[in-house]
This record gives sequence, C-alpha cells and structure tokens, in this order.
Amino acid sequence: MIRTNKLKKVYRTEEIETTALNEVDLHIQPGEFVSIMGPSGCGKSTLLNILGLIDNPSGGEYFFLDEEVSKYSERQRSNLRKHNIGFIFQSFNLIDELSVYENVELPMLYTKVPAGERKKRTEELLEKMNMMHRKNHFPQQLSGGQQQRVAVARAIVNNPKIILADEPTGNLDSANGDDVMKTLAQLNQEGTTIIMVTHSAYCSEFGNRVVRLLDGQIVSENTIAKYRI
Amino acid sequence: MFFNNLKIAFRTLVKNKTYTTINIVGLMVGIAAVLLIYRMVSYELSFNKNFVHHDRIVRVVGTDPGDVSEQNLGVCIPVAAMRALRTDVPQFEKVARIRENWATLTVPGETEGIPKRKFSMGQDDIAFFADPEFDDIFKLTWLSGNNVSALGQPSNIMLSRSWAEKLFDNWEDATGKMVKIDNFIPLTVQGVFEDLPYNTDFPLTSLISYPTLELTQHREYLGLAPDDSWNSCSSNNQVYALLKDENQIDAANAVLANIGKDGYNLAPNGKRKTHLIQPFSMLHYDDELQNSGRSRTPYRSIKILIFIGILILLIASFNFINLATSQATQRAKEVGVRKTLGGRPAQLIAQFMSETALIVGISLILGMVLAEFALPLLQYVSDVPLDKPFLMESNIWLLLLCIFGIVTLLAGLYPAFVLSSYRPVEALSKNIKTRSLGGINLQRSLVVAQFVVSSILIISAAITIKQLNYIQNQDLGFKEDLVYTFSINTDSISLGKHTVLKNKLNAISGITDVSLNSDQPISSNTWSGNFRIEGRSEDETFETSYKFVDDNYHRTFGLQLLAGKWLAPSDTFQQVIVNETFIRKTKLGTPEEALQKKVQVWGKYYPIVGVVKDFHTHSLHTAHQPLTMVSRKDFFWQVGVKMTNQNIQGSLASLQKTFDEVYPEQVLNGQFMDERIQKFYEDDQRMSALCKGFGLLAIFISCLGLLGLAMHAAARRTKEIGVRKVLGASISNIVSLLSKDFILLVVIALFIAIPVAWYMMSQWLADFAYHVDLHWSIFFVAGMLAILVAFITVGIQGFRAAVADPIRALRDE
Repeated sequence: MIRTNKLKKVYRTEEIETTALNEVDLHIQPGEFVSIMGPSGCGKSTLLNILGLIDNPSGGEYFFLDEEVSKYSERQRSNLRKHNIGFIFQSFNLIDELSVYENVELPMLYTKVPAGERKKRTEELLEKMNMMHRKNHFPQQLSGGQQQRVAVARAIVNNPKIILADEPTGNLDSANGDDVMKTLAQLNQEGTTIIMVTHSAYCSEFGNRVVRLLDGQIVSENTIAKYRI
Repeated sequence: MFFNNLKIAFRTLVKNKTYTTINIVGLMVGIAAVLLIYRMVSYELSFNKNFVHHDRIVRVVGTDPGDVSEQNLGVCIPVAAMRALRTDVPQFEKVARIRENWATLTVPGETEGIPKRKFSMGQDDIAFFADPEFDDIFKLTWLSGNNVSALGQPSNIMLSRSWAEKLFDNWEDATGKMVKIDNFIPLTVQGVFEDLPYNTDFPLTSLISYPTLELTQHREYLGLAPDDSWNSCSSNNQVYALLKDENQIDAANAVLANIGKDGYNLAPNGKRKTHLIQPFSMLHYDDELQNSGRSRTPYRSIKILIFIGILILLIASFNFINLATSQATQRAKEVGVRKTLGGRPAQLIAQFMSETALIVGISLILGMVLAEFALPLLQYVSDVPLDKPFLMESNIWLLLLCIFGIVTLLAGLYPAFVLSSYRPVEALSKNIKTRSLGGINLQRSLVVAQFVVSSILIISAAITIKQLNYIQNQDLGFKEDLVYTFSINTDSISLGKHTVLKNKLNAISGITDVSLNSDQPISSNTWSGNFRIEGRSEDETFETSYKFVDDNYHRTFGLQLLAGKWLAPSDTFQQVIVNETFIRKTKLGTPEEALQKKVQVWGKYYPIVGVVKDFHTHSLHTAHQPLTMVSRKDFFWQVGVKMTNQNIQGSLASLQKTFDEVYPEQVLNGQFMDERIQKFYEDDQRMSALCKGFGLLAIFISCLGLLGLAMHAAARRTKEIGVRKVLGASISNIVSLLSKDFILLVVIALFIAIPVAWYMMSQWLADFAYHVDLHWSIFFVAGMLAILVAFITVGIQGFRAAVADPIRALRDE
C-alpha cells in the first residue's frame, strides 16, 4: 500500500541545514496498524506528513497505492488525499466556526457527496461515536475526548483506505485516550490501514508493528504479536 | 510615562509592519485629499475679503418681470435708475455707477491709425467706466497720482500696475500719458493703482472716468441708451454702494422697492421691474447673478467639496478602527499581562492612543508631502493658483492640528476602549474571540459605510462621464468644426472696413465661408425682447431671442433651412428668419405656412422669409427657445470663418495678416468654436473630474482597509484553512471561503449606494434640458466594478492563504 525508497527531507534556514528524514525505506501492507515512535525531533511527524501527502520529500521515492507520488502537484495530491486518507491530530484541529455536525460533514463537501448521503453518513458516524446529542454544539463547548471523537468521525467519514494519526491521545486523559485507541483498533480490524505517531508505548501496543526512528533514520522495526482489545 | 508610551508605540508599529503600512498609507492619502480640498475651499472662501469695507459694500440688482411665471434676477440697471439710486437711498453712504468694458487699449503711434502698442482684454480682464465714489467704496491702493477726482471728468483713465507696465514698460512713466480705447477714444492716464489680488471678482485693468461715456460721440460708439431711458438696459451697467451700516440691508431694500415706480413699464404679466440689494459677500457665490470676475462658485459646490473631504477622512479613519479592532485579539495577551501587573485602564488607553497619535502624526507629515506633489492636479477641478506652498496657506496649522486631534480621537478612542476593557482572565485565555467583543459587527458596518461612499462617487463619476460624452456627441444643429470666430469693432471707422475684411478673408484659399454677425449660434449671450405676430391684438406672453446675422451665416455655421430662403444681403432689418420652436410656440403652423406671416420687431413688421431647423443657442442645460434672426450691420461685432482642414496653421496665419492689414489698431482675439463650446461645460467637467478623482481615492482607501481585514481574516483562519486543505479543499474553495463575507458587505453597500446615487444624479441631470437616461446598466456596471475591485483585493489574500503550506498552520508549536 505504501512504499518509500530512500525518502529524504531536509529543512534549510539561512544558516543551518537540518536533515529530518535520512533515506527512510518503509513498507506498509494494506490492513496494517503501524505505530511510529521515537524521541522529539526524530522526524516522526515529518514522515507522517509526507506519507499523508501534505508535505513533499526532498529526495527519494514514495509509492502510494503503487504510484510514485513524490512529484505530484498540489492538485493531484489534494485529490488523492481527499479520497484515500483520513487525518487525526493531537490538537484535534476541528474548525471552531463549524458545529460538530458540520465538521464531520466537511470532507464530503470536498468529495462532492450528495446531500442525502452526507446526512446519512454523518448521522451514522455521530451515533457510532456517541456524539449525536452534541451535533449542534461547537468544538469549544466539548471536552477534549469528545473533540477527538468528532475528529475521528471526520477522519473516517469518506471511508479512507488509510488513517494517519499524529499523537491522537496526546491531549487526552487516559480514559478518553483508551476510547480513541479502541476505536482505531476497531477500524483497523474492519480493514482500514492505520499509521500512528505516538510517544506512548502503551498506545503502540494497539498496533501490529512499531517502527522506531532516531535522527531521521529507522533504527528498528518490531512486530507485535497480540492485540490488546 | 509619555515617552515610555511613545517608545512602546513605536516598537509595536515596527513589529506590525503590514498593519502600520496599511494604516499610514490610507490615512496619508485621505489627509492629502483633505488638504487639497482645503486649498480649493479656502481659496473660494477668500474671495473679495481684501477690500477694507467688504462687509458694507453692496450691489444694487434688478428683478426683471420675466416670463409669465417667473421673476428673474438681473444685474443690469438702466441709466435713469442709476441716477435715482445715487440720490434717493439714505442708507447709502456712497454710490458708484460702473459700466463693464472689454476694450483694446492702445498707445498712439506716430503714424495716424497705427498704434505703437495695443493690448486687448480677454475674458479674464475687465475695465470699468466708474464714478470717483468707486474708490471711496473699494479703497484701491494708489501707486501714483491718487487724483481720484479725475474720474469725475471725461477722458481720464487710471491704470492698474500690470497694465501700466504693459503699455509703458514702467508704471512710473504712465501718469500724464495718453492711451486710447480701441484706438478711438483718447484718454489721459491720471494715476496707477496696485493690481487687485487674484481672489477678487474685479480683474481690473483700468478705471475710466464715467463722464467719458456721456460725451455724445462716445455714447454712439459704445451703443449706449439715452440718459432718460428706464426701459432699456445692459447688464454691463451696474451700481455698487457703500452702506452707512452693514445692518441696513432691509431698510435699503424697502426704499429700493419704490424706485422706478413711475419709470418702469408694466410687463405683459402685470409686473414691474424693481430693485434690491445683493451683499458684496455674495458676489462670488450667487447662482443667478453674474459678476465681473473670472468665475463664480455657488455655495452648493463648496459644501459638496467640504462634504467629500469629510467623507474621505471618515473612510480613512474607519480603516484605522477596523484594523485596530481586528488586531485586538492579538493584543489581548499583552493587555492581560499589563492589567495583571497593575496597569489601570486609563494607562492602557493612553498607551493605545499614543500608537494612534504616532500613526496619525506620521500620516499627517506624509500627507502634506503627497498633497504638495499632487497640487498640480487641482488645475483639473479648480481655478486655485498653484504657486503658493501649502504651509503658507492661512490657518493651515490650525487645520493640521484639527485633523490630528479629530482623527486621533475618532480612530483611536474606540479600539483603545475595547482593548483596555478586557478582563485579565479573559484576555489571557487562549480562546478569546473578536466576535465576543462586538468588534465584528462594527467592522462590517464600517466596511459597508466605506463602500457606500465609494460606490456613490464611482456611480456619479460614471454618470457624469456618460452625460459629458452625450453632450459632446450631441448634434447641436450646426457645424462647429473648423469654424474660427473673433470679434471686431463697430465704431463708424471700423464699420466702414467690415466689407473689406470680409472680401479679403474670402480670398484666402483655406477659407470657404465668412460671416459677419452679432453672435455665434451657441453662446452665453442673450438678446431678447417682446414681439407680436401681424394680425394679433397683443404681444406674445413669451420673448424671442435675437441674433443679428448676415447673408452667409447659415453657410458658415451649417444651419439647415426647413422652408423658404435665407436673408438677402442688407445693412438693416428687411426680413426675418425664425426657428422651429418660434413657429411652434406662436402656433404658426407648418414652416411653409409660417412663411406667409409677419413679425413685429421693435415697432415694425417684417416678413418671415425662412424657417430654420432648431439648433442649440445655449448650452445643453437650456431647452430650445424661440429665435429670430435679422440683419443689422452695426451689430456685427463678430466674424465667423469656416476653414478647410488643409493647412489650418497657414490659413490662421493668413487670417492674422489680413486682420492686421485692415485693422492695424485692433488685436485679433479669436478661438475655434469647439474650444468655445467646451467652455460651457467647464463646470460640468470639473464636477466629473471631482467625482472621478475622489471616487478613485475613496475606493483605493476602502480597498486598503479591506486588504488589511482580509489579511487579518486569513491570518486568523490559518488553522481552519490548513484543516480544510488537508481534508481536500481546493484553492478556489479557500478563496471563496475568505472572500464571500467581504463581497457580501460590498453587495449590501451597493444596495444602499444605488438609490442614493440615483437620487443625487437625477437632481444633477435635471439641470440639463437634454440628458442621458439613468439606465440600470450604468448602476450594474459601476456595481460590478466595485465588486470586482473588492474581490481582487480580498481574493489575492485568499489565494495566498490557499497556496500556503498547510503543515505550518497545523503545527502545534
């Protein structure tokens, strides 16, 4: 599903050049749940952004669904993204001006899903996330856990093939964090590929593989035998 | 504390460079516009204030009985009335008769008939025949020979300094020398007075003793009515007086109402001419009554200018308020910290006001520099002299101080109060929203107000341009192309050479037609009078205007005969030509039927030999009027020459040569017809230029504000835009997301502006007898233009936000 070959990302400022990713080779099969771990500044988020097609690599190749996409234009990347990838962020990144319902509906506006279908899917997901009673509320009126549930609903509303989650539990208490992780594991069981960046060893155990990064390079890859559900 | 505030203000402004620049540029342009307007307004308001007694001086004017319904004011005073005014009004301390004259002054040469020097007075110069009392009233500054009593004797003249220098090189040499009017009436120079300043309505070249007019030979030459005539008058004859007390206008008016009761005839409408006072302070501003100066400026126009100035300053201040309140959330944390540390609201207000004052101060200085550079642009909208630097303008420092104070308060007070009113806990919280501070609605209202003003000005400009195009392309009923007109004298000697001139001009190869006449087809002059159709018992209730023309007038000016033939060559009245409106208003039937009728002009009946298609005799402000054309040689003080379009310069040179040969004592003072016609619409063109200029300024300043708000909105919504992009929003999605709120405001503004502009421009157009219709397309195009400009302004911001890297927006740290 995802294959990178000598993937490289270099940040340049006037004085210094920082290599965030250094020849990363990563292979992810459909249905995998991969956790990316490592200390701050090791390149986790950079890798996730490139995999999510919201950033460009400085070098190397990136095959997404067997297509080389590293040289894609913004328009091509946007197209690929909106139909195939869902995002979950540490700080939720809900739009403050939109209600819970509208936030979940938003990705379908961009993929031109008909109105009736949008309503149906939004309501289904809000039910599933147990957020239906809050559908007219605005993000700032919700708790962190609730906000992240809405964010998850938004990430999966277009039935993406892959979900990229950047520290999805970083701003949550353990109970809410657990809920989110269970939801992700559930989605993974239903066939969605998940790539998650996390600091938490506990969270990483929900996945089936852990990739460790250090100074922009993969230093180890471990397969986890059992699920914790 | 003050310097501390100023220092912090300076740092804040440097930190927010874009915000500061937008504010300063907007205010600078606004202030420059206000300074330019001030220059025009103060110039117009300064008129005629230089005379010592200006508040006691009055002009006596007349109310003409006029048409059936109206009563027209006029400046002309019959000679007999002048005499009564000198003696019969006890409120007058001094009374002076004047007669306006635009003469050629010559210095006699050694050869008889050929002067040593000759200078003609154009439209911007004037000579007065005047009584000695003129100087008691106006107190001129005498450079030499202040022998004012010489004005009481015939054949004396006092010259202005500049004309004395023109005629004799040094004004010191002028006194005692001889000059002639039109090289015909000899006068002795009795004194030289200082030139009157430019801002008077007396562009006086000279004062000629009034009794000169009373010598029989001169009276004939100048075409004056007899002394005892009450019922004939020329607008050149006027009376100025000095009131004993400035508050006696009403008392004087009461006396004036009785003057001429026995002298004036009853008009057909049963009314009689009477007199009343026009205060000298109104001379420059009266809509109706002409003056002797270069221009008049109705108070209405001055008020419009002041109004536009205030609007532009408001628009610029609104920008400031909007940008400052939109920045409020960003400053909230600072406010929170300062308050937590013990800062009192008053101190915070002082600090924010210091920032405003700094911006206004910088804008003021830059605005003055910009205004100084833009000064030459004023020539398109005003007569204001451009040689004086701004800082020399009287009261300019007071104005600058006022602008500084008012704009600082207007622009700074509200944002300062909003910012300083944050509660520390609220201000320090991460989730503070502009929305929660009531700033959004104010911002929106101010943007709407800005675009209402800009749109009204833009729509008005579009309509004035359309009307002016319409005027320029309107068929005037005659052909003005390549017709050159100039004036000639009509004294007995000059008159004798009229035919010589005409024949010589006809012989020039580039000239196809020559006509001698009293007036070109279109002009601001009107000769009019009562008349009667043969067989009817009474005069018509309306007047006909007259033109005195020769047998070649219709060919020279391309008039179209509908029936009959043109006038036969004749020195005096024999036949008349009338226009379509004449036969329609007199109900004479078809043009052919009218040919059978006779018209009584000045006591005798003459046959109508031709009917001419209506042509415009006045500007398009006036509708067609009945017109009678007759031949009368001694009224031919103008020549019209039709040229071919080959070698026009050559033809003009030949014309000049011929003129100098025939009239060596006269000065050729001519103009092409189309240039003369342009002059009629000078005021309209200025109005149009004002709307265009200030409309563009207003929209520029409004768009600057919009740009600032759009930048701020994009910055505020960075995270949202990032999220939307990640979720698949396209560039056009983002651009429309950011633009639609602003465009909606502009659309709302248009809904307010269009009816207002519609009303205002219908009023303006109503002043034209012939005008364009207010078609919806003008409003549509102007509205679309406003929307387009606004869209480009905010769209560019939207585009920049849309192509920005979403990761930056989503990064938490």
